[in-house]
Parts: sequence; structure tokens; C-alpha cells
Amino acid sequence: MHQLIVAVCIAVWLSLVPASAVSAGVPAPYSPLVIQPTGMPARHEFDLSAALARARRENKRLYVYLGAHNCPFCRRYEAFLEQNAAELVPHFAAQYIVVDLRSSLSVTADQLFIRIGERALPYADFQRSIGDERARMLVYPSVWLLDPDAKPLMQMPAGTGTFQTVPEQLEILRLEQ
Amino acid sequence: MRGMIHVNRWLGRGTACLVLFVWAPWAQAVPGGLPAPAAHADSSPEWESLREKLFPSRAIDTTPGTVQIIAPLRAAYGASVPVKVVSKLPQTPGLYVKRLYLLVDKNPSPIAAVLDLTTEVGQADFETRLRVDEYSHVRVVAELSNGQLHMDSRYVKTSGGCSAPPNRDALHLVGKTVLKVPEPVAMNLPTPAEVTVLHPNDTGFELNQVTVMYIPAHFVRSIKVSYADKKVFDAELDFSVSENPSLRFNFVPHGQGQLKAEVEDSKDGRWVGTLAVR
Repeated sequence: MHQLIVAVCIAVWLSLVPASAVSAGVPAPYSPLVIQPTGMPARHEFDLSAALARARRENKRLYVYLGAHNCPFCRRYEAFLEQNAAELVPHFAAQYIVVDLRSSLSVTADQLFIRIGERALPYADFQRSIGDERARMLVYPSVWLLDPDAKPLMQMPAGTGTFQTVPEQLEILRLEQ
Repeated sequence: MRGMIHVNRWLGRGTACLVLFVWAPWAQAVPGGLPAPAAHADSSPEWESLREKLFPSRAIDTTPGTVQIIAPLRAAYGASVPVKVVSKLPQTPGLYVKRLYLLVDKNPSPIAAVLDLTTEVGQADFETRLRVDEYSHVRVVAELSNGQLHMDSRYVKTSGGCSAPPNRDALHLVGKTVLKVPEPVAMNLPTPAEVTVLHPNDTGFELNQVTVMYIPAHFVRSIKVSYADKKVFDAELDFSVSENPSLRFNFVPHGQGQLKAEVEDSKDGRWVGTLAVR
């Protein structure tokens, strides 16, 4: 019964998302650098090395988005990005390279690895290594704002629910805390 | 908006496993139902109602300079928002901060903590972590020994704080009370200290995934801290304080003694933590 209620909730939720946003991932107008996981099935490893190298070359920051193909809340955020692309893309493009990590809800914290150079760390260890407070719980979707040395530009919240309006998304891009 | 918040809480309570993976931004994510933008110093209907109940007909000074609250605009997790209160007033017998009220306007139980202070704190600065259920102002009201009230507030954006699943890794340790001070301790000066109580601080809104029953509210109700048998402060707390409630505070040691914290919870559990200070 409980599972049925959850399924109904998700179905209702998905029905509210515009059809144009049903395909997973950051919308194309943001020119995302899509990173697919490697090392499966034992682990889902995302290598940020190339994205960081590009950020150094272009003197930009990284907007790293971790989404899951089967995550309704990810679809919701992606739909928001798509609907507001005309207004938001110039702000993203001016300072950020958008990196789109493609995961799945079945990938748990101990299976998700982030690689930078020679070092690959599981989610919680990676978070601790960069001083991010979100080590305790893996939440989809998640966003990191990183400088070209992979240092967080500010502490981000779990999920994206607090920046799904244009003014709030711009707050995030401006690093307002 | 209110309807969506209920959906949020209901979903959070009913699907804690889902919430482990997917933070529930329902109330905040719905176009057309978004909270209106708010400034840190704004009022709210909830605050106006609280103000009438707690401080009827009393003036509250919001001029910066007496008390400050520091909290992030967005915290990593709504269930654990770091909050710091900084007092700009030294605790002298002539004039001191007598009471601090920590409030979260939109929480189901908005009075998170009431701290009854003495001059033994030396400096009325406190740090703790609060649950913030939805977009809300977090406030501190300082009542001075002369009766004046001063307030500062911050607007905090979170989602799912009170619905987040609690950590239940160490239930056998519930009530364990730990005090910490830096080494060495400087005598006759405000000295930072921390008291932490291992406790789930259950809100009553979480669902037990095994029994499919709501976990009854069970939270730390008070922490009384003394040094060398002299009261430093008493804290009346609520489930708006995060699990494993902790308070960072100051006290003034006038010589060797015992720092003591007496803890009581909502099921009449009682514990004591002590620390010898030399």
C-alpha cells in the first residue's frame, strides 16, 4: 500500500513536468559537458579531470550537476532550466562550464566515486576532502560550484529545491550566501 | 501554498527511504506557489503572532549593535542549520543579556530554545544547529537585565528539515552528555565550551520504515549548565533543535571546579555530564 502511494505520488509529479523536459540531463542550450560513469557495475566513477583542465584554460568555474535518469526532482530542475534558458544561459555562460554527471537513483553513496587526476574517492570521502558539509547523505540532484582547482566556491544545499526560480538561480551563480 | 506544504510533510513522513535519495522540494519548487522573496529583517504573520504571545505590548529594538544572528542563506541540510548568536554586550552585573529566544517562524513548533543566562557566561554568544522546515526567518530576541528587548533575524532557505530521516546508529547511547573545553583553560576570562547530548530529538514527524508507524516525539527538553555549583545558564529546548543537540557557549571559571550539564528529555529521561576544569 505504502509503495503504491509513493508510485502514485511520483506519477502525479511526473505528470506536472512538461513533456519537453522528460529527457534526462541538463538542457542543450547550457552546452553541458556530459560525463557518463565508468567502472560499472562495481562502481559509478565520474572523472572531473578534463572539466577542471578546461576550466583552467578558459578561466571559468564549474557548475557540476549530479542528476539521475529516474529522479523526478531532477526532471523538475532540468525543466526549470529549459523553461528559463533564454534568461539564464548568458549568466551561466559568462562564468561557468556546466558539467552534467549522469547517474541513477540506484547508485548509492558508497558506489558513486569522483575522480580528479590520479585520485578517485567515494562520495562521502570526496565531500569531506573538499570540506563540503553534504557528506552524510547523497541527494539527487546535487550541485557543486567549483573553482578550477576543485575547491568549492560556497557551501551548496542538498537538492535544488531552493533555487528553482530565476532570481534564486542567479543568487546561486553570484555566490550569494 | 499551505496545501503544498502539507503534501511536503506527508511525503517526507511517508517516504523516508525516498527522501534519502531525493530531497523533497515540493513546497519550494512549484511555480506560482513559491514563497514571496523576503529580506532578512522582514516580519512574517507567524512572527507577529509569536510576538503577541511572548512579548505582548513590548517594544523590540531591531537596531544592529546589541545582538546578531548568523545563519547561512542556504544550509547543506534543513535538518541541521548552523546558527550562531553573537552578543555585543559584555555580561556585567549592571547590564547583561538575561534571556535569549531562538525562534524559527514557520516551524511546526517555532520556539526552538529559550536560554536563561547569568553573568557567569561572561559573553552571551551561543552556537547550535536547528531544524528549519521550510523557507523561514530565524530570529534571536535578547532580553536584557533592564527589560529591553533586542532582535536580529536571518531568512533561511531550506526544504525538508523536519521530514529528514534521523540518524539512529547509536540508540543505546541516547542521553550521553559530553562537555568539552579547550586546553588550557584561562581563569577569570570567558572560556568557550560545548555541551552535546546524544539524542535523536525526534520531531514526531518521522515514519519508522519497519513498523510503518510514526515515531513519537522524543526530544531534549532542557539542559542546565553550572560551574562549581553556580548556574551558568538554563536552556529550555524543543525538537526544532537538530538531533544530538549541542550548544557552544562561554563560561568564566574563577578557579578549579566542575562543569556540569543536567539534561532532561520529553520522556522524563535524565542524564548528567560533568567535566573537571583545572
